[in-house]
Amino acid sequence: MMTAINAKSKNLKALSSLMKEALGEEPVEVTNTKHLSGVATGYKHGKVIIKGDAGDYLGVLNDGANISLTGNAGKYIADNMTAGTIVVDGDAGHGAGMYCYGGDLVIRGDAGDFTGTMNKGATILVVGNVGAEAGTYMLAGDLIIVGNAGENFANYLIRGNAYIGGDWETLGHNTNVVPLSEEDIDKLRAVFETHDVEAPLDEFKKIVAASEKPFYR
Amino acid sequence: MSVVGAFCVSVNREICVNSQMPGKCAVCAEVCPHGVYALDPLTGMMHIQNYNACVGCRICSEFCPADAIRINPAESEYISRFPWTLSTIEEIHYKAQTGDYLLRGFGTQQPTPHFDTITVVPSQIASAAPRDKYREECDMEVVIGEDTCEKPLRLKLPFVWAAMSYGALSKEAKLALAISAAQTGIATNTGEGGLLPEEAYFSRGYADSEFTQKEWDPGGHLVIQWSTGRWGVSADYLNSGDAIEVKIGQGAKPGMGGHLLGSKVTEEIARVRGIPVGSDALSPCRYYDVETIDDMKHMVEFLRDVTDYKFPILFKLGPSRPYDDVSACIEVGADAISIDGLVGGTGCSPNVVTQGVGIPTIACLPPAVQALKDHGVHRKVKLIALGGIRNGLDAYKAMAMGADAVGFGSAAEIAMGCRVCYACQKGNCPYGITSQKPEFRARLDPVEAGQKLTNFIHACAEEVKILTMLSGHNSISDLSTEDIRAMDLNTAALTGLKLVGYERPLSMWEGGFTPATLSSDNGK
Repeated sequence: MMTAINAKSKNLKALSSLMKEALGEEPVEVTNTKHLSGVATGYKHGKVIIKGDAGDYLGVLNDGANISLTGNAGKYIADNMTAGTIVVDGDAGHGAGMYCYGGDLVIRGDAGDFTGTMNKGATILVVGNVGAEAGTYMLAGDLIIVGNAGENFANYLIRGNAYIGGDWETLGHNTNVVPLSEEDIDKLRAVFETHDVEAPLDEFKKIVAASEKPFYR
Repeated sequence: MSVVGAFCVSVNREICVNSQMPGKCAVCAEVCPHGVYALDPLTGMMHIQNYNACVGCRICSEFCPADAIRINPAESEYISRFPWTLSTIEEIHYKAQTGDYLLRGFGTQQPTPHFDTITVVPSQIASAAPRDKYREECDMEVVIGEDTCEKPLRLKLPFVWAAMSYGALSKEAKLALAISAAQTGIATNTGEGGLLPEEAYFSRGYADSEFTQKEWDPGGHLVIQWSTGRWGVSADYLNSGDAIEVKIGQGAKPGMGGHLLGSKVTEEIARVRGIPVGSDALSPCRYYDVETIDDMKHMVEFLRDVTDYKFPILFKLGPSRPYDDVSACIEVGADAISIDGLVGGTGCSPNVVTQGVGIPTIACLPPAVQALKDHGVHRKVKLIALGGIRNGLDAYKAMAMGADAVGFGSAAEIAMGCRVCYACQKGNCPYGITSQKPEFRARLDPVEAGQKLTNFIHACAEEVKILTMLSGHNSISDLSTEDIRAMDLNTAALTGLKLVGYERPLSMWEGGFTPATLSSDNGK
């Protein structure tokens, strides 16, 4: 049976101990979390459904849990995720999916500035648009934007791939636009199928790093 | 000023092996980190090809099998040719030829205000009588997070190893630090380059990952660093230690993040950090995932949450605005705060930053201590002084100024055998301390180097004990500014300590340290 927790007027420590206790085979549904930052930190397993909007740092350090959010995310959702899946039905604020080593982050709405900064291996999918500086200093992984990107897209990309269906305002330093390979198309198709996203595959552009060592000779 | 061009290299050709038998010896050329010597491949003769590059580390003379090399400082240069000394000329030529700025490791090279102009006041008849170092006990323990977490960090001695990453240091050097932490009951620190598996159990005194075979007593502690590059960081990583240190800055390059140059990013390091082999690992200068002080507060909360509220949270600051920075750390919930002074700097950094950015350690302490006092948490939220601490005397002075403990970084490398050649970032450390090359690493045995570090810590602890007891105390927590004096006007003005002879603080310090209001244009 699904556990339902109302986070209203609880602090992080109190909510966290209730959630950890409830985490198991069945999903844990949590309401009224918007006043809290760092909900569902570092879980290795389980399924968490956050109803409504969330505060900042939701699912930070996620290490295997499946977290879904029915409303909008605050800042830094899925920060430093290493494994698992986080799906946001609404929009995400500043810095979604920063510093991730692995896992999947899906944002069905728009995402803010610095999305996917220093990504080191996660797959980050934004179905709407992203703000400025998305994919800054990415070292591995895939950043997939179905809509448009703001200024300085994929700035100082070191390794990994940025894919975009729409347009960017400006492209960042150390970037090269290259055609998509068969593997790229298969990869994108699989990601879109998994997360049930409609996207025109033939309109996607791929951005890779111009140099792996752009700063010091 | 840089040390380049500050030394005269002389080789005694009468005993030099190469001079007698060309081609038979090239040790000096092999070990010099700066290319002072070169072997002519046709004649086999050794030449001194670049006198000016010598930095005075004397590694060549140590390795020379015939003891034929002498290195002498060319001090008069700085008087007779200032400001256009040979080193300045060489630096300008280098920039003109390459367009590059200079990078190097190992801290500030010029004289800066330091602990040497502070003296210790012994007890005689008027103050509490001295304690007997040989026959009485002295409490040296420092506890971090006693009231705030389930498992406070208990340091048996008031020392920590400063954060130095795997990548900056070799695996052997990291393990030596861990072993010595276990042998002395102090803490080692992962730095920001991820965790070596052995580090987790060696530092606690165990030889195996199951924590069954106790090898080193009494067992120490591991501080896990959380930083802006987030190399090798996961929930498991954060739970593998006894405390978490949130790195804000460091003495070598405050405001610049971290630099691990590609020449040191081997396959193993690339794997631990999750980055391409040979790429520059540049940590951002700030947290991309913190925009406001409230964000930082939330970060501390989730770090406590992910570690089940067990471990203390430490902060590490570079030398900037100690009163305001320490206040901010207290407000966001720090259990301890390390402040790293200007001379601190094992890290690779642009020369201008190492040389010209930050304020001296002795000037960081009074405002930092005042911030703790104004928040009512002095000696509760612990203060750890870093930056150029060389011995028990420096440590004692820092603690008398209000710190609870001190950290050793450069001194730790030197205790392992480092000769200070300022070239850590090149990856050719002949002692295997900051090199990732197998042939150099083979020269550093972690157990042997660990023992040297342990000996160093024990000696420093004895020094602190001697000084604490001769000034009438039997606990380091009783030390105060009354136990020390400034020996010159400059030091008295910087620190607010009583001036020797005058026996009072300078009048500008009447009423103690008063925080100046932050000017509105400093970007806050």
